Amino acid sequence: MSLTMWGLKKSPWVFHVNTGACNNCDIEVVNLLTPRFDVERFGIQLVGSPRHADALVVTGICTRQCMPRLQEVYRQTPKPCVVFIIGVCACTGGIFHDAYHRWGRVDDAIREVDPNAIIAYVPGCPPKPEAMALGVLKALEML
Amino acid sequence: MSETELAQELRSNVGEMALDVEQPSRNNIFVTIRPEDITKVVRIVWDGMQSRFAIVTGIDVPGGIEILYHFVFDEKDTVVTLKTRVAKPFPEIESITPIIPGAEWIEREVHDLLGVNFRNHPRLERLILHDNWPEGVYPLRKDFKPEDAK
Amino acid sequence: MNIWLVILTFVLATLGTVVLGLLSKWVDRKVTARIHWRVGPPWYQTFADVLKLLGKETIVPATAQKWTFLSAPIIGFAGAAVAASILWGANLTHASFVGDLIVVVYVLTLPSLAIIVGGMASGSPIAALGASREMKLVFAFELPMILALVTVILKAQGTLALDGILDYQASNGMFIGSVSGVIAFVVAVLSAQAKLGLVPFDIAEAETEIIAGPFTEYSGPSLAVFYLMKAVLLAVLPILLVTVFWGGFRGWGLLWGTLAYVLVLVLFVLIRNTNPRLRIDQALKFFWFGLTPVSILAVVLAGLGY
Repeated sequence: MSLTMWGLKKSPWVFHVNTGACNNCDIEVVNLLTPRFDVERFGIQLVGSPRHADALVVTGICTRQCMPRLQEVYRQTPKPCVVFIIGVCACTGGIFHDAYHRWGRVDDAIREVDPNAIIAYVPGCPPKPEAMALGVLKALEML
Repeated sequence: MSETELAQELRSNVGEMALDVEQPSRNNIFVTIRPEDITKVVRIVWDGMQSRFAIVTGIDVPGGIEILYHFVFDEKDTVVTLKTRVAKPFPEIESITPIIPGAEWIEREVHDLLGVNFRNHPRLERLILHDNWPEGVYPLRKDFKPEDAK
Repeated sequence: MNIWLVILTFVLATLGTVVLGLLSKWVDRKVTARIHWRVGPPWYQTFADVLKLLGKETIVPATAQKWTFLSAPIIGFAGAAVAASILWGANLTHASFVGDLIVVVYVLTLPSLAIIVGGMASGSPIAALGASREMKLVFAFELPMILALVTVILKAQGTLALDGILDYQASNGMFIGSVSGVIAFVVAVLSAQAKLGLVPFDIAEAETEIIAGPFTEYSGPSLAVFYLMKAVLLAVLPILLVTVFWGGFRGWGLLWGTLAYVLVLVLFVLIRNTNPRLRIDQALKFFWFGLTPVSILAVVLAGLGY
């Protein structure tokens, strides 16, 4: 394993994208940074610009307006990068599966841009912070 | 009770434009009016009786589209709702934005989602639906089919 | 002087300061975590950050000025590295010349200029806004910093060489032990806080306000160079303060200097964790109308001999 790959596993910087969520999943994502769960000990930092990010944390059903913006954010993230799809709404649509303003699945939107994107799913409504941390660590191990 | 006082005050102020005044619970009063009288009644309830304009809601019922205007009397802890019903397929009503400027966006949203045309609205454009959404398809109507919106 | 010796000294000083700076950044994050009752990252975290950034692709925005955009971090890093080598040279050997304190101050403005130029060359309105904030901040904190150093020069009987300042402190006691020294040290610590971009003066890179400020469009290795520049600056500024106020790494020896360095570093971290961020106009008022009169007082006291 090269040094840069070791660095990527030990220091994933995260950018959070909300494509139309009810904010429950977003609150749980931000919970991870609080002293109770403290993901900074794994090197995870919340960064403000997608150009600094290694991992995109995506929540929300993908609304029609948000789909091109999500793709633009994915293009702006320097590769190699991982996409974490958090919450049932982002994974499959959840209870909003047939909603009129929904475009489709988040992973379809990302695979339109990059068919080889690395995507990890953490379902739940909202997923527990422990589940999210476990998902992130498992995905990093598999990198 | 002071709330019944409010209902009686409404009856006397709105007069014969109120087709019905009912109070199903302590905090809710529903005043049914004709759509042509909306601007006059809004002036009476908002301007004359000094209430706070809250929101406009709409629902598709078998007799047409019911539009509800909600006004809050904070010191009396009551919500007064003006109920009107406009007929499909081309529902129209006078806009209250010239009286209450804050109603501009909610009327745009009701127009977007239910297809109600507000006459004399300063700027009746698309607000919350996507730019590529087809014209004439209103998602919150009961006869909306998802295939129409592709 | 042998040119190869100079180059070797420069390279060794830069590498040593990079390692020291990355460890100091770790101390910052660990102490912050402890104050928040968290665990905090392991000691190799900052090294992992740099290695990871070196492995990502560099994206240059289409609206950016490509060569300015890519060379700004290198110039900033070079400035910080030159300051580091001058300071280490004066402390550990006696390699010092008249006016090297001025050279250190001059060369330490290059990192701030690099941030401004890089932000302006990014072609993004957020980066331009961050760069303009950094410009206003530089206007604010440079003056009290220079006045604090003038205090030191006056107390050392007018010598402008770091060697002379260190010798004077070795024979006459550290400057921190006098009234004007304490005042000048406080002013210098607050100005250094602004230079390092730490709360309450991290106005340029205000994360919750303007995304990432001037660094918004940087990614991959160019961001790694900026990261290293900030790390070297985090090591150089405490070394400068220890050199001019606490007697440097001579005198009572390396141990005392190291203790003083850790003290100054922890002072930065504590101030960072107990204060909210200021607005840019509040920061300007604080530096011009708050710290500048205080540092003028320190200069006057130094001139009178206190």
